Amino acid sequence: MLKNNRRFKVQKLLKQNELYLFLVIIAYSIFITSINSSFLSLENLFDLGKSSAGMGIMAIGVFIVLLSGGIDISFTAIAISGQYIAANVLIASGVDNIFFAFFISCLVGVALGAINGLLISQFKIPTLITTLGTASVFHGALLTIVGTKAINSAQLPDCFKVFGAKNLLILTKPNGVNYGLSIFIIIFIVLALLTWLILKYTMLGRGIYAIGGDINSAVRSGFNVAKIQLFIYCYVGFLAGIAGVLHISLIRYSNPTYIVGTELSVIAAVVLGGTRITGGSGTIIGTIMGVAMVTILNNSLILVGLSSYWHNFFVGLIIIMSVSITSYQSKRSIGNIVFRR
Amino acid sequence: MIYNGGGYYLLGKYSKHSKTLTLFIIMISVFVVISIFLPGKFLTIRNFQSMFSQIPEFGLLAIAVMLAMLTGGIDLSIVATANLAGIGAALILTKFTFPQIGGYEELLTIILAITSALTVSLICGFLNGILVAYVGVPAILATLGTMGLFSGIAIIITKGYGIIGFPEKFLLIGSGTIFLIPVPMIIFILCALVAVIILNKTTFGFSVYMLGSNPIAARFSGINNENILIKTYMMSGLFSGLASIIMISRVNSIRPGYGSVYLLQAILVSVLGGLDPSGGSGSISGLIMAIITLQVLQSGFNILSFSPFFKKIIWGLILILVMVLNFYSAKLSQKSIKRLKTN
Repeated sequence: MLKNNRRFKVQKLLKQNELYLFLVIIAYSIFITSINSSFLSLENLFDLGKSSAGMGIMAIGVFIVLLSGGIDISFTAIAISGQYIAANVLIASGVDNIFFAFFISCLVGVALGAINGLLISQFKIPTLITTLGTASVFHGALLTIVGTKAINSAQLPDCFKVFGAKNLLILTKPNGVNYGLSIFIIIFIVLALLTWLILKYTMLGRGIYAIGGDINSAVRSGFNVAKIQLFIYCYVGFLAGIAGVLHISLIRYSNPTYIVGTELSVIAAVVLGGTRITGGSGTIIGTIMGVAMVTILNNSLILVGLSSYWHNFFVGLIIIMSVSITSYQSKRSIGNIVFRR
Repeated sequence: MIYNGGGYYLLGKYSKHSKTLTLFIIMISVFVVISIFLPGKFLTIRNFQSMFSQIPEFGLLAIAVMLAMLTGGIDLSIVATANLAGIGAALILTKFTFPQIGGYEELLTIILAITSALTVSLICGFLNGILVAYVGVPAILATLGTMGLFSGIAIIITKGYGIIGFPEKFLLIGSGTIFLIPVPMIIFILCALVAVIILNKTTFGFSVYMLGSNPIAARFSGINNENILIKTYMMSGLFSGLASIIMISRVNSIRPGYGSVYLLQAILVSVLGGLDPSGGSGSISGLIMAIITLQVLQSGFNILSFSPFFKKIIWGLILILVMVLNFYSAKLSQKSIKRLKTN
């Protein structure tokens, strides 16, 4: 019995997308390290973690939306709105406090997310269409009402700079240069854990999976679909707000046209992590690995010696290959009767 | 009984045409309002010519998206396909020279360029079709991936630089006029007519609609779904290729990433035009009315010199507003069906 159980577990593990992705990441990392040994240093890994934390946090949001069977492409517009409004409010009010910045940015994020959530839950507009429209409205409104001027490093409140340079763990290289584990990575891990807890241990989380699996069944089993959808999109907005503040702290500059335009690569990372775009299936570990894969790919091309022209090509190729493998497997296992579009 | 039947029939007719009717009313009222508020500026031949030269490339891309959406999928790679096809044509136009054969070599180069652009776009569409039909990748992911792939190839070929300067005869495609009507508009009207005929008068078109509304039913009624899907995505690619020819000839250059704003606008116009994003319903006539509406608004905004950001807000609001209206009209017709049933 026990033996059988173990065998079942191994079989289950072999079927999981995450395992393959993990192996691919390891193999690819070894490959790059063999070409350029600086890749697998702790310093480089910390750097990669810091620069991709913002994308990772947005990916968590996208992950939840995909899980519920929807899609959100307005989160980048929300992130930049949160960031830019927060920076402007801080400058105008003279309050130089990073928590206040987070508060404003998340407030904007949740408010804009709520608009998405209400449109989707009350008017039953397809999520792609809703967020396509709201992305355009949010970003247009930001540029029209708040402004188009970039905030440069000199104007930027100090709290962002201090926060961006904050390390929790400081290590010293043999040559005396300090490097450290950025607070960004900790924030990302905490948010990932929080999301995992919500999904795994709360009725809300079960509801998100249920909606993604089959929305009609979810209604009949008593889930308040409208409420859950509202929560999902507010949560995405909240995460986007945090990502916006991390982004400004990282690059010490705010331009209201930044971030927007990266939504498809974030979605690609989540899908790479094994989350089904049709909803109901996916894990947060997979999402983190998907983000890691895209980040490594982005950063390794130059290390390998290929020019950055190849970037789009490789990201596209990897998306096609990974989704092809998973789709082909599931198509074969379901058989020919059920036709997938 | 008979009355009920008649009622159902009328309601069916009504709901089928209500979207088109709403669109028509919206289009006319936008046109009238803009003409009244901008006297002497909107209703001019020059303004119409400029509108007519902007509609075709965008309209062809919108038809490309629409074809994919009719099957319940989507094609995010249209602009990337158009870029790649345009670059193929541009390379031939600028680098390739035929040996002198009595003044015809320029024409031959142009024909070769157009053929190669269309071939490239067909291959791109074929790849999308294979991924969606045989590998079973959801269309949004397949075309997201190929979008990266195609634009990546375009960047690798050109190293990110633009290609400029085409033969003068080639430029006539994008900027010539016949009896005051811009050539691109004539090409667009012909292409739209072909699309209408294919969708409404052929077995293939009927199969596309069936596949979009219920793939399993389509399969059991003897339709070869894979075949239809591949053909649809190839057609979608072909329309992107046609758009690219008009595009590069109008601006006399091509660079990777040109026209990327068209992607979201094309989806927007398709949905505004009454297309059901889950597939199976939508018509070219609705699409064209939506394109005209947007173009009239666009040109009105240009005359009023609105900022592009403000236009962005309005596009988004219109999209959402139309969807909300659709929601209420669907609810209304459901209510009246119920009332009929209780009678």
